[in-house]
Amino acid sequence: MSKKNKQDPRLPDETFEPYEEPRLIPLPVYWIAIALAIWGVVTLVQTSNAGHFADKERAALGEKTASVASPAASTAAPDTGAGKALFADNCSSCHGDAGEGVADAIPPLHASDVIKAGGASAISQIVMRGIGGPLIVDKANYDGEMPSFSSVLSDTEIAAIADYVATDLNGMNSTVSPDQVAEIRTASEDMDPWDGGAGLASLINGLPPQPASENASAPSPEATATASLASQGTANIWSCASCHGDKGEGTQTVPRLAGLAPAYLAKQLHDFSKGTRISDSMAYVAKSLSETQITELANYYGAMSSPSGAQPALKGDLARGEQLALSGDYSKNVPACFTCHGTSGIGVGAQFPGLAAQQPAYIAHQLAMWAGGARHNSPLGLMAGIGKALSDEDRRAVADYLASLPPAAGNAKTALAVSPTLKETTNVQ
Amino acid sequence: MNRYLPLAIVSLAILAFATLLLVIVPGMQIAADGVAPGLKPYTAAEARGRAVYVSMGCLYCHSQQPRDEAQAPDGERGWGRASVAGDYAYDAPHQLGTMRTGPDLMNIGDRLPSQDWQLTHLYQPRAISNWSIMPAYPFLFTHKDKAGPTDVVVKLPPAYAPKTGVIVANQDALDLVSYLQGMKHDYAPPGDGLRDNGYAQIDARQMPQTDAAKAAQ
Ligand code: HEC
Ligand code: HEC
Ligand code: HEC
Ligand code: HEC
Repeated sequence: MSKKNKQDPRLPDETFEPYEEPRLIPLPVYWIAIALAIWGVVTLVQTSNAGHFADKERAALGEKTASVASPAASTAAPDTGAGKALFADNCSSCHGDAGEGVADAIPPLHASDVIKAGGASAISQIVMRGIGGPLIVDKANYDGEMPSFSSVLSDTEIAAIADYVATDLNGMNSTVSPDQVAEIRTASEDMDPWDGGAGLASLINGLPPQPASENASAPSPEATATASLASQGTANIWSCASCHGDKGEGTQTVPRLAGLAPAYLAKQLHDFSKGTRISDSMAYVAKSLSETQITELANYYGAMSSPSGAQPALKGDLARGEQLALSGDYSKNVPACFTCHGTSGIGVGAQFPGLAAQQPAYIAHQLAMWAGGARHNSPLGLMAGIGKALSDEDRRAVADYLASLPPAAGNAKTALAVSPTLKETTNVQ
Repeated sequence: MNRYLPLAIVSLAILAFATLLLVIVPGMQIAADGVAPGLKPYTAAEARGRAVYVSMGCLYCHSQQPRDEAQAPDGERGWGRASVAGDYAYDAPHQLGTMRTGPDLMNIGDRLPSQDWQLTHLYQPRAISNWSIMPAYPFLFTHKDKAGPTDVVVKLPPAYAPKTGVIVANQDALDLVSYLQGMKHDYAPPGDGLRDNGYAQIDARQMPQTDAAKAAQ
């Protein structure tokens, strides 16, 4: 017992056992307790739908990714207006809003003699595999590249587009069913894009005369050595395929390499080994490669065609991403990505890499690195300003949109000469 | 102090109440959630590798719980989508971790699928990143004069390679790498998966202010 207690007037006696008289809790304490309880219940009720809300958001995302992830799986019946909308989303960026094409660069889709001869089924074949090389449409010469849409469009969607192009744009009485498209998909699995007009001649009877194929010659003996370097590695280098995938399709922050311009790939490998582009793993790889190996690996991946291994995964707003890619955002000083990176993001020449079907995490990561200065190797600093101008949401939006596009096909014609004097690389539109 | 019994009862009741709300109810919620569709059980090698992961205390530096886009740029780092309770259905004890001295490993198999890279990195992280503070695990490897037919040889740059002979991976290292390679939670999460809802609701309220919404107007 403390001295204080002893002096308490209520405790006259040392032997007295202290006790507390029951005292009423002051009223304000009740009020506070009741107010807290009410607050608690109100918050509980208010936020109880937060879970449902997020569930809905995720369910919507799940549907979106599911439909992208398994294009072949959806079997819903095609609806008539869908063909037009799908055409606007997937084809009009190159072939024009009404399929009018671009003189000398992209063939027309309305009143095209190729389509007149082949009908809806030939259109499905072309959309499924893509096409590249010399081609004559309506007596005009073309030599461009069209990517394969097999990994981004479902059978139903391809059928709807083919019907729209054949009937609405060409006034033909020719349609194709999703089941027929499914057969085309199975038959064209792992096939290279159509080899221009020469390739189509074997598909379409009665095709007007077509130029001869310009396809590169058979793979050289070095090509097999390069393929083994890419798939097995060496005593001190990990194999490229172990990270970049067997088909160079990439994963997460490991980029897609298939179909990028060899000159661009070689520049990046040089930048990694010089340290002007920073990545510990790639610096390790690039430093152990000889000059010849770099050129051969660049040619190997540049000529590789493979399906898209990417799908939107960052919850980006695809409509916003499309806007940035096609028209940019002048309020933020962001030019359209496709002005440099090519229509549909298939890349332009040696300097502007393809972005279509690139891994979304990789794109967003690179944009963030440009913004922060960790990547600073673009010629004239072109990308640094763009990276800085994009907000986090914009980066995810444009990355997800680009991931939803069909990949550019490999192109053996842009291969670098293996000798030290690098051949001029011609680019395709 | 003469009312021991009521004191003891009240304190036990408080403890029981806390256990009910913090352990039993969430336990039931998670049990009802079940296995995430798309999650595969561990293979024998992965399960052994997981045991190595636990015993080496990788948890002290690596988390296994990527966060939502609204909270952190984990997705852009390539760490994968935010995890849901069902993703951990086969994990006992779970290795969620709280420290991010190194990167999150929930989707390491997706981001760095290379067995060769993983072995080099476990043998000597400094062979790849000279600034790395991750410990080396040389005791998971053996120095041999010549590799046997089934041995997996570790690829090393000359500076870290032994003067003679080769470094081969022990079973523990191979199992650990199988476990890391299997860490792929890239399937779509169940729509009603139990997880932290991030700022979903706040997001919804602020929607009108985001760039995306402005652009859409
Ligand atoms: C990246 C630009 C691009 C996109 C997107 C694109 N194409 Fe093409 N398309 C081309 C080019 C270039 C050619 C010519 C290829 C050549 O020269 O060998 C072509 C050729 C064709 C042809 C054969 C020639 C003709 O005009 O009849 C058809 C049919 C065709 N495209 C249909 C489509 C359809 C349908 C879509 C949408 C699913 C589409 N294209 C999307 C660039 C594109
Ligand atoms: C350990 C995994 C790994 C291995 C093995 C690997 N890479 Fe990479 N590679 C990466 C990562 C990660 C990046 C992205 C670097 C960054 O973030 O800037 C990359 C980037 C690249 C790039 C730049 C691509 C672009 O779009 O800018 C090229 C080119 C490349 N790698 C080629 C190769 C080649 C050729 C090999 C085989 C000799 C190889 N890589 C092996 C992980 C790997
Ligand atoms: C003014 C031209 C220009 C514009 C506009 C442009 N880029 Fe680029 N971009 C480049 C160049 C040049 C490179 C190659 C850098 C190098 O050589 O390392 C590049 C590279 C990239 C890369 C890296 C590709 C890889 O494989 O590593 C990404 C990602 C990228 N750009 C995204 C974008 C996005 C998204 C936009 C639109 C918001 C955009 N770019 C607009 C010029 C441009
Ligand atoms: C002292 C803390 C520490 C411990 C313990 C530790 N790590 Fe790390 N780890 C790091 C750091 C820091 C990095 C990043 C630097 C690097 O790549 O080496 C890293 C990177 C990694 C990476 C590469 C991740 C990426 O995305 O680049 C893997 C895989 C990894 N650790 C696995 C393990 C495993 C398996 C164990 C247990 C055997 C372990 N770590 C223990 C600190 C640690």
